[in-house]
Amino acid sequence: MLKDIIKKEIQETITSAKFVFTFLLCAILILLSVYTGIVSYHSDQKEFSAAVALNKKNLESQPSYMYLASLGTKINKPPQVLGAISSGVDEAVGRVATVNISLDPNLVDSKYESNPVFSVFGALDLTFIVKIVLSLFAILFTYDAIVGEKEKGTLKLTLSNKVPRDRLILGKVIGGFISLLIPLIIPLILSLLILLVYPNISLAGQDWIRLLLMFLMFFLYLSVFFTLGLLVSARTNKSSTSFLVLLFIWVTFVTIIPKLSVVTAARLHPIPSVHEITAKKDAFLQQIQVEYQKIAINYTKENPMKKGENVKEYQDKFKKWAEDIQQEATAKIDANNAALELDYGAKKRSQVSLAINLSRVSPASALTFSTMSLARTGLDEHDRFLASIRGYKPIFTKWANAKMMRTLDFSGAGQTAKVVLDDMPQHKFEPETLSKSLARTIPDFGLMLFLIIVFFAGAYVSFLKYDVR
Amino acid sequence: MLETINLTKKYEDGLLAVDRLNFKVEPGEIFCMFGANGSGKTTTINLLLNFIPPTEGTALIEGIDVTKEPLRSKDYVSFVSENVMLYGNFTAFQNLDYFTKLAGKRGLTKADYAKGLKSVGLQEDAFNVRTKNYSKGMRQKLGLAIAVIKDAPNILLDEPTSGLDPKSGQEFLKLLIQMRDQGKSIFISTHDIFRAKLIADRVGFMKKGRLVIMKTRRELEGEDLTELYIQYMEERPESEPEHPK
Repeated sequence: MLKDIIKKEIQETITSAKFVFTFLLCAILILLSVYTGIVSYHSDQKEFSAAVALNKKNLESQPSYMYLASLGTKINKPPQVLGAISSGVDEAVGRVATVNISLDPNLVDSKYESNPVFSVFGALDLTFIVKIVLSLFAILFTYDAIVGEKEKGTLKLTLSNKVPRDRLILGKVIGGFISLLIPLIIPLILSLLILLVYPNISLAGQDWIRLLLMFLMFFLYLSVFFTLGLLVSARTNKSSTSFLVLLFIWVTFVTIIPKLSVVTAARLHPIPSVHEITAKKDAFLQQIQVEYQKIAINYTKENPMKKGENVKEYQDKFKKWAEDIQQEATAKIDANNAALELDYGAKKRSQVSLAINLSRVSPASALTFSTMSLARTGLDEHDRFLASIRGYKPIFTKWANAKMMRTLDFSGAGQTAKVVLDDMPQHKFEPETLSKSLARTIPDFGLMLFLIIVFFAGAYVSFLKYDVR
Repeated sequence: MLETINLTKKYEDGLLAVDRLNFKVEPGEIFCMFGANGSGKTTTINLLLNFIPPTEGTALIEGIDVTKEPLRSKDYVSFVSENVMLYGNFTAFQNLDYFTKLAGKRGLTKADYAKGLKSVGLQEDAFNVRTKNYSKGMRQKLGLAIAVIKDAPNILLDEPTSGLDPKSGQEFLKLLIQMRDQGKSIFISTHDIFRAKLIADRVGFMKKGRLVIMKTRRELEGEDLTELYIQYMEERPESEPEHPK
């Protein structure tokens, strides 16, 4: 009997106009989003390689290490292949940071900066399609699952037979869910094929696991709305009421809770503005510059070249002193900036984490955060990347200072030592491991499962007591 | 056989929908229950199908207490509702196949279904048409075909002829007579005095949840059923049934 109910549910759905419409729209949107995501990744990858090569060429062409030290090297954020599925914050945050001896590095030049109109509408990635469009379809498939049958009179007719209610609801859940998955699975399989055959796109073993986990999260997310639809359908007496209630919950989950969480977190945990931090950094930089300028003047006054002193020896001594003092000054600047960043970062993290935890009540937020983490396009990965650049800054500064001071030329002809980058320390960044990403997404998986169980249990119990008249 | 013993339904808001209802529908009998809207006719059917629990009393189908053994009791009853909608995207065959399987009948062929559909007067060219394109009369016939194929000894019909055109109504009555002649107990809740008069072996009048009068076909001979209906529904004060069974 269960098989008959499941078969009927599938047959009834797939012969309906809403299924045909959903299938076509899903196929178009999913394939379009994955294809554009891949094309975008491919172009980002090319842009990234070009930027790295250009930076190297630019550094090599500097007339001296002093120019190199003040101009600095550019660190480009490598694009993530799974950003094609979930672009996360990658399009909103900066992609390139300049590391030089003076300024504190920050990631700038986001995609949205290049074309601000994108920020108005956001990215059309698969996560967006699932979060907004497919969740609406899940509602569309279930809002009248029970109440609709009551209105049609088929529920009475069905239950006038020897059909246990628990079996009927189970059949409706299984059949309905399979019907919902059909328009999703076929385009997703086609998307995977595109990923496989598209030239220059290669997914590592770990990426496939991440991708499968993302797909699993999509299914869980849709199951939440599916079971919610059943629950509301089993608690209402009119399909129009059921639809309105579900629409209200959907809007609350998808738009209101995430936005409200950010606003609430900002109120509860205010943080200083970026300008305030920058102003503090600049003030300290200026203070150090003035302080060390005085030290330099005093040094030259107190250590004039003695009569008969070897010029070369005097210059070498000065170079050694200048390098030490330069290292000391930049170390102080770096230490101050690091302390400011640490404090600011802690406050920011606290605010962000509050916003995330508040918004996690909504499955839409849980979907967004988990897929971002799995795609390595989330806030954490961004922060880790920025932290790695800030960690690299003192290393670069030390190298640049040493090079700059050791090649000081007192001949009056200016620094002409050829810039050689062979021993320049390279920025290294290890992307987050799968186990760490997974650990980060466990609360989201847990929330989804919890909501599915609660909604399904609610629908189940409600249906057992449902007034079929 | 269908039977109610002191069957009572009082809703949470205090409304007494069915009040100590006693009647029996014997095999090979058509019992038509009249009553104004809200008089308790449909509630009686809902109680017999165990869609709602009674406050007091018992509803029996083939001697089975429907509240104690609801699933078993449903093996012995078919139900045809006022406005059979069925699954609009399904054809008559598909609807019939689904509901027949729910009724526990397995192994029936398309030919069996076609026979059932023909027996209720549905045109053959409509068998493979989606039922959303059916007229009300066609849907009612299909609803009856489901009952025919289930072949339960008891049939409950809730306003089955409302909205049917004269020809469809006439065909529908013929089918009910055929089923009665096969020995089925048929309970019909209806407003349709004219059609009921043609087929009813017994009639009952419900008012505010109570069965106020019950008459056999013989007792009705020479009586104007319309007159009787008006008299009992509008003028006669609430009273005990004249002929409780």
